[in-house]
Amino acid sequence: MVIEGSRGEAAAVVRLDGVRKEYGETTALDGVSLQIRAGEAVAVMGPSGCGKSTLLNMIAGLDRPTGGTVVVHGENVGELSEKGLALYRRRRIGMIFQFFNLIDDLSALDNVALAAQLTGTPARQARRRALELFEELGIIDRRHAYPAVLSGGERQRVAVARALMNRPALLLADEPTGALDSRSGEQVMDLLLDLNQIGQTLILVTHDEHLARRCASRLVEVADGRVTGDHTLEPSA
Amino acid sequence: MRAVWHAARAAVRRRRLQTLVIALVTLTSTAAMVVALGLLDAASAPFDKAFGKQRGPHVVAAFDPDKVSDAQLTRAVRGPGVEAAAGPFAQATVELPGDGGMNFGLGSEITVVGRADPDGPVDRLDLWAGRWATRSGEVVLNRDPGWTPDDLGKKIHVPQGPTLTVVGFAFDLSRTSDAWVAPDQIAALHPTTTQVLFRFADASSEERLRGQLATVTGGLPADALTASRSYLALKHQVGGSARAYTPYLMAFGILGIAVAVLIIGNVVSGAVISGFRHIGVLKAIGFTPGQVVAVYLTMISVPAVLGCALGTALGNLLAQPFFEFVFMGPDAGVFHGSASIAPWVNAVALLGMPAVCLLAALAPAVRAHRLSAARAISAGTAPRAGRALGIQRRLASSRLPRSVSLGMGLPFARPGRSALTLAAVVLGVTTVTFATGLATTMTRFGNAGQDAFQVTAYAFNVKDGKEIKPEHDDLELQSLLGSLPGALEVTARANTDVRVAGSAHEVELEGRRGDRLQLGGVLTEGRWMRGTGEIVAGSAFLRQNGLRVDDRLVLEKGDRDETAVVVGEFMESNARQIVADWSTMTALSPHEKPIAYHVKLRDGADPAAYVRAARAADAGISPTVHGSNSITQTIVGSASVLTLMLAVVASLGVFNSVVLNTHDRRRDLGMLKSIGMTPRQVTVMTVTSMAVLGALGSLLGIPLGVVGHQVVVPRMAEAVDLTLPSYMTDVWQVPALSLLALAGLAIAVLGAFVPARRAGRLTVSEALHSE
Repeated sequence: MVIEGSRGEAAAVVRLDGVRKEYGETTALDGVSLQIRAGEAVAVMGPSGCGKSTLLNMIAGLDRPTGGTVVVHGENVGELSEKGLALYRRRRIGMIFQFFNLIDDLSALDNVALAAQLTGTPARQARRRALELFEELGIIDRRHAYPAVLSGGERQRVAVARALMNRPALLLADEPTGALDSRSGEQVMDLLLDLNQIGQTLILVTHDEHLARRCASRLVEVADGRVTGDHTLEPSA
Repeated sequence: MRAVWHAARAAVRRRRLQTLVIALVTLTSTAAMVVALGLLDAASAPFDKAFGKQRGPHVVAAFDPDKVSDAQLTRAVRGPGVEAAAGPFAQATVELPGDGGMNFGLGSEITVVGRADPDGPVDRLDLWAGRWATRSGEVVLNRDPGWTPDDLGKKIHVPQGPTLTVVGFAFDLSRTSDAWVAPDQIAALHPTTTQVLFRFADASSEERLRGQLATVTGGLPADALTASRSYLALKHQVGGSARAYTPYLMAFGILGIAVAVLIIGNVVSGAVISGFRHIGVLKAIGFTPGQVVAVYLTMISVPAVLGCALGTALGNLLAQPFFEFVFMGPDAGVFHGSASIAPWVNAVALLGMPAVCLLAALAPAVRAHRLSAARAISAGTAPRAGRALGIQRRLASSRLPRSVSLGMGLPFARPGRSALTLAAVVLGVTTVTFATGLATTMTRFGNAGQDAFQVTAYAFNVKDGKEIKPEHDDLELQSLLGSLPGALEVTARANTDVRVAGSAHEVELEGRRGDRLQLGGVLTEGRWMRGTGEIVAGSAFLRQNGLRVDDRLVLEKGDRDETAVVVGEFMESNARQIVADWSTMTALSPHEKPIAYHVKLRDGADPAAYVRAARAADAGISPTVHGSNSITQTIVGSASVLTLMLAVVASLGVFNSVVLNTHDRRRDLGMLKSIGMTPRQVTVMTVTSMAVLGALGSLLGIPLGVVGHQVVVPRMAEAVDLTLPSYMTDVWQVPALSLLALAGLAIAVLGAFVPARRAGRLTVSEALHSE
């Protein structure tokens, strides 16, 4: 059951206004406007190549819009310098990828601690925080393992831990269960749901309706680079 | 084959940067190799090559025109044994008062020959500036190409004779004349000699040349032949300096070739290894293993062949000014014309370097040939377990900024790639170290004894083809030279042949008298002679005679003998020479007179002014300014240029490694940026990873360079019968080594900086999307 939701501007942490993104002659986003409030869990869905990952990249500051504005926590992401973007990603964003994107040469613990160390957190303190997250995510036994020997689910948990390391305002997930078997996918879904329930703002890109309904309270539909639907979701049983 | 070509062409297009790097590395390496091989070629037997090219005369003969006619000489030169002859040419001696001759680097008295053209069967002159003198009032001067062509058009005023305009500069290795005019002009200069230039069928020894000349001139009137000079004396004189620096240039040439070949191997094999995934994909879609190898060899060949072709052209372009610089100095002309790139060098570069590239690509390509498609794909992409875990962990826990500690860990994560890069840096640092040491040694070698004297006054002069004796006697002359303005010390020198008792061979005993008995000699052991019965000998003499310092020997001459003790060993490659004070020499040869006086001038005194004063004081002496050392310039010049070239090649090797690493790590870099790493931190991390290799490269390369210097330099000196004193070989001090350590870092950082900045600017979404 899909319910049309009301959107209050005052509490918006993410505001996209007429965002366009072109790659050569291909238009990936074509005037997308969207607002997301703190604590929301938003699922972005659409067919392959519709622009949903591009939309996420704009919000994450991984790419710059060709037109329009992306404002997150009052910062116009498109106007930030390269260094400014890096600091923005460091402080505001936690990103989870479909294919984990862990550094193969670092242990699971060092992969996670790295995110904090980049902010200048001392190594010992960073590792302590990482161990807390490993404990919470149930992978404490795998902390010294290297990505190559971890299962898909374990790798994604490590990626989630890394994303949460700096207590980001926004947690962005791009097909977080896309490379996982159903059991591992369920575990990751539970994890995201738990995070949102304790107030973490979550935007996830997926083509998995089950995941969207399970984790999100709002569904944004994208097709051909435009927002074609924006609905509130009923919590699934 | 079509599929292979399509796949190879697509691969070249897709990997534009890597293709460009391969082309650049092959270009610079080939250029370095062309110059290095050119050096090897030019430095081996330079005199013979240059002499052969000019078809130099084996004998330059002077005849008295009052006693023999040109017609008689023309008939005579057709005699047996004469391979070719030039002349007869009328020769005049012209006095040029004041600075007339000095302005052109000539003496105050020059020989001028009337000659119709610079070519001919013998003595083909190298007319390197202007044109030949074809009309009256024109003159061509014999100058090496180091002279400035700006002097063309200047006038030479001959007293009671014509004014000659300099219309050309020609270099004559055989030094048959100081200047040439048209045959019509020579009569106005009052020629006193007729010159004939001979090439003989057998020019192997002085005796044979003398015999053949006697045969040719046998039918001419008595005393018609007034003087003759064989090319062997000239060859010995020129060859002396060439012998000294040939080994050094050869060492450098070999080093240059080694570096070029190794770096190319590094770059090309790295390119193939980084393409394993692509190889797997090709196999998966149906390419046979042979086709896959063909794709890769074609892919490498395109930039390699292009780079080699352009590199060969660049090498040829660089070689000319480089050789002109390197072979500058008194003997410069020896190499002029001959010191260009030989055709075989270009052939080797054009065929050899692509072959090296293909061989370098072949080894990893054959490995890929054997791998299954699945393994090839996984070798390119599969995540691997981390390497050097302990190092990574310790670095992660260190207090270093994380970008630095991550960078320091990178080389350990990819040991194979790091080893290749390290090899490039080690080679670069070894080269820089070796070259620096060599240049220091050679500078000290060249400077040794340079300040001992500035003017040499020979105790004879030649005028109008006739020898003039000094107006003053020996001691008066020494006193006179010491009393001229600017003189500080005067040392007389005479030579006489003596025999060492028990030996059949004669040796040359040089007796010295005056203020500075050591002259410009450098002691390697013992001390200089202080009185009668003491000699100092060169290393070559001592080695050949089985003698050491403190040994005694008996010198004999005629019915006289003298026991002498060897009190010192000095740096001298002439195995026939020993040095003693005047009293030792006169004990054996009481009537010996000095052949030359060496004058050290006071600081600031003008050697040219002293020479003029000496000439005016006694017309029977020929004072000349002691020239600078061309050997030093040759070695230091070549070492500097080759070091620079090889350092560039090594930097490109590093550059290539960083490009490949960056390509391999695109996903990691994108990920790091996605979690907040700034472009500057990415650059720092990437540069740090190479700086680690630079530091390691220094640690390995510096000792290798030092060992190379310590092994090569003394052996090369030994090859020319020289023992270098320790201060010339002990060139390594802590500050110099510290600076060299920076060389490794500099090579690595320079090579890494551009691709590191590029990595820093990588768009995150693109990098992650590429997965």
